[in-house]
Amino acid sequence: MVTHLAFWGLAVIAVLAGVAVFVVNSMARASYSLALSFIAVGLQVLLLQQLYVGVLVILMMVMEMAIMAVYMNMFMGMNPAMMSMNMVHGARHALPVSVGVFLLLAAGALFAPWPSRRGSPPADVTAALGVELMGPKMLAMAVVGVVMAATIVSGIVLAAHRTRYDRFGDDLRRRRPADPQPGGVRR
Amino acid sequence: MAEVPAAVSGGWAPVAAVLLGALAVAAALLDGALAGRAAGVRSGMGRPVGEVARLLRQRRRTTVAADRLLWRIGGAGLLGMALMIITVVPLGRWTLFDLDVGVVWVNALDVLAWAFVWLTGWGANSAYALVGGYRFLAHGLAYELPLMFALVAPAVAASSLRVGEVAAAQQGLWFVVWMPVAFVVYCLGVVAIAVWGPFSPALGRDVAGGVTAELSGVDRLLFLAGRYALLAAGAAFAVPMFLGGGAGPLLPAWAWVLVKATVLLAGLVWLRRRAPALRPDVFMEVGWLVLLPAVLLQDLLVAVVVIGG
Amino acid sequence: MGVSGALARLALRHAHLLVIEVPGYWLTRVAVERLAGVRGWRLAVSPADADILVVCGSPGPELALVVASLWEQLPGPRARIDVTTPDLVAAGLDQAAAMLRDTPGQRRDSTARDGRGFDDAAGGDIALAHGSADRDGLEMDVLHVRLGPVLPEWPAGLVLRAHLHGDLIAEAQAGVIDAGHGPAGGAHVAGGDPSDEVRPAVAGEVAARRCDNAARLLALAGWPDAAGGARAIRDRLLTGERSAATAELARLRRRVRRSWLLRWSLRRVGPLPPDELARLGLAPDLTGDVWDRLNGMLGRAAVAVGGPAGVVDGGPAGVVDGGPAGVAVGGPVDVVVGGPVTSPAAVASVVSGWDVATARLIVASLDITALDVVTDG
Repeated sequence: MVTHLAFWGLAVIAVLAGVAVFVVNSMARASYSLALSFIAVGLQVLLLQQLYVGVLVILMMVMEMAIMAVYMNMFMGMNPAMMSMNMVHGARHALPVSVGVFLLLAAGALFAPWPSRRGSPPADVTAALGVELMGPKMLAMAVVGVVMAATIVSGIVLAAHRTRYDRFGDDLRRRRPADPQPGGVRR
Repeated sequence: MAEVPAAVSGGWAPVAAVLLGALAVAAALLDGALAGRAAGVRSGMGRPVGEVARLLRQRRRTTVAADRLLWRIGGAGLLGMALMIITVVPLGRWTLFDLDVGVVWVNALDVLAWAFVWLTGWGANSAYALVGGYRFLAHGLAYELPLMFALVAPAVAASSLRVGEVAAAQQGLWFVVWMPVAFVVYCLGVVAIAVWGPFSPALGRDVAGGVTAELSGVDRLLFLAGRYALLAAGAAFAVPMFLGGGAGPLLPAWAWVLVKATVLLAGLVWLRRRAPALRPDVFMEVGWLVLLPAVLLQDLLVAVVVIGG
Repeated sequence: MGVSGALARLALRHAHLLVIEVPGYWLTRVAVERLAGVRGWRLAVSPADADILVVCGSPGPELALVVASLWEQLPGPRARIDVTTPDLVAAGLDQAAAMLRDTPGQRRDSTARDGRGFDDAAGGDIALAHGSADRDGLEMDVLHVRLGPVLPEWPAGLVLRAHLHGDLIAEAQAGVIDAGHGPAGGAHVAGGDPSDEVRPAVAGEVAARRCDNAARLLALAGWPDAAGGARAIRDRLLTGERSAATAELARLRRRVRRSWLLRWSLRRVGPLPPDELARLGLAPDLTGDVWDRLNGMLGRAAVAVGGPAGVVDGGPAGVVDGGPAGVAVGGPVDVVVGGPVTSPAAVASVVSGWDVATARLIVASLDITALDVVTDG
């Protein structure tokens, strides 16, 4: 009973915080409303006994929102004094579409003929969930993760304005890089 | 294998909070004494008490167009984080919250520091405070990944994410002995989360106190108390992860946990007196080019030992 | 009284002071720092952190405005004192303590302030910041921040108008507050207090000034203990404990030289080759990076204190050589007391392109004694 109440309470918080993202008027508040929404979802996942996934959702989302808030503020030039930002763009079309999608998905979740439980949950639900989702493609999935990380790093390297020729000279012979500000490792 | 700690009723939570508070107060007293000795003042030990009295007597203040909600959340958040971390730290045979992914739980909580410290800097609508907040995130980018991988090592060695099982897995040999790199990186991470000593440029004198530039009265008290509490919680969590949990002769397990946590905490407090600040602009490269590869190698070594052994 | 009285007594033993130095009154500021330290008081980093506002010297009209606005930012209980000579400091601090202890008076002050806080100061929305390309060619917001004149470990009177990308100083203009006012330009930039004008320069004072500047640099580098050590040496030099100070200075120099972490942190920051120094009109012994300049500063202190007592005349390491800028303003007495006069334009030029933290280290490493009020604006 308590679990049910908590689950529904968290669901309401998640949705309201999600709505708040579009209602508040500053990037910091929007980012952290979204973080709150995700934390509520993470706690719901915890209530579903998927402890690892639940905690991971909280971990990843807080970190992501911290970084997002920073980038948004950096590029959009904001400080708390400027509290008049409108978080909804093209509201005339966006609002009906998003409300419609929400209702559709919620209806799907509520009215789908969910199967009733057969047997009992395995001892290690995280591993079971992973096998269920990825099955024999686990190795491929693990490799994809590494490839994605490598892609991010190479993207940054390619996008960087200064190249190694700027840093080490045209013949790459300079022993110390010519950086505008020296880093902590002398390379 | 020693016995794995059992969860006790939530009614014991205030006791855990009091223990954490006692550790944090001890840290503050020691810091005051060390600072007093360095400055040649006798009243060092009394400094934390006096500071608390001063801040309780001081008025709260606000700034022009502050985002007061986020500002206050950030300021009080650190203390909450510390309290949540110790719920999974076993005290000998007892633990408050016997979570089977306790290690990840702590990791998720330490990331909250990113939010709280930055929000404290952001909310005040002050250039210096905001610069301080960004400095903390710059540090975060450098310390967070090494810290996460440092926590992986004990978990891999114990083949469990349950903090109690990690502690029980090191009855023969403490993890700190054969995974020193992970331990050192973990300690750096704790110091960084507490915005302490070498990781305090976010509160630097050069930006008029940085994140804390506009805090006064009880708001400042909460933020500073949160820093000490985080340092204490980090030291306490190191005990089951690296320092053998409650293992030790003569004393009961719970006493050993407290003794080890206190000793490590004292070391972290003392560190502040010895080391200059690690500015984010120079520490960033160290984090990515030295600490991260070192701790990944440590993880590899641990994984090989576990599979081979 | 009971609880609140006990609270007040305890709080008073650990008061924090925000010290504002009017250019030319450094001896008064040092006396405040020393006597406050003896009482167990500490230096505040910002008005929010302060209980006592100490103004050392008589501020000109611009600085007076700054002081008034800072006074409004003290949370309270609060006390303000103005001291103009070192020997008035002890009495001033007693007075501040009495003001803080006066709970009814503080309560009146507090109620008088209610309702007219900083909330009313500005209203409405602030326009979006405009952007420009940063040093990596990324379009970034530009924030205009005025560094100084009141900032911890900051040269007295210096104001740096910085255009920031994040915390990176894209460009800066520097000036000295009240440059056009003040008691006769010459005395304004004097290294010693105006009351000391006719006294011959004392070697101990020159060395103390170096130690004071080194303490500021060490504090900015985030090493409070070493900074405290340098301040203790400064105070000993000024109170005439030469031999103890010499021994401690030698120990501090060894300690600084041996700290590889400090060396790692300060190396390669703010390099200034000799030709650049000449172009900017800075003293030639400031060559190298911040680390070199820190050691140079402590070295000059050691030379000054080890040299003959009394008047120093052009010490061996160029301690009191005016340098190219030394003749800019101020009577000859001031130059001998204080050493070279630094032009604010040079300060602005050396910090451009660095982030705030390193820029602060670079400014502190310039070993500024006095700022030129004539050039730049």
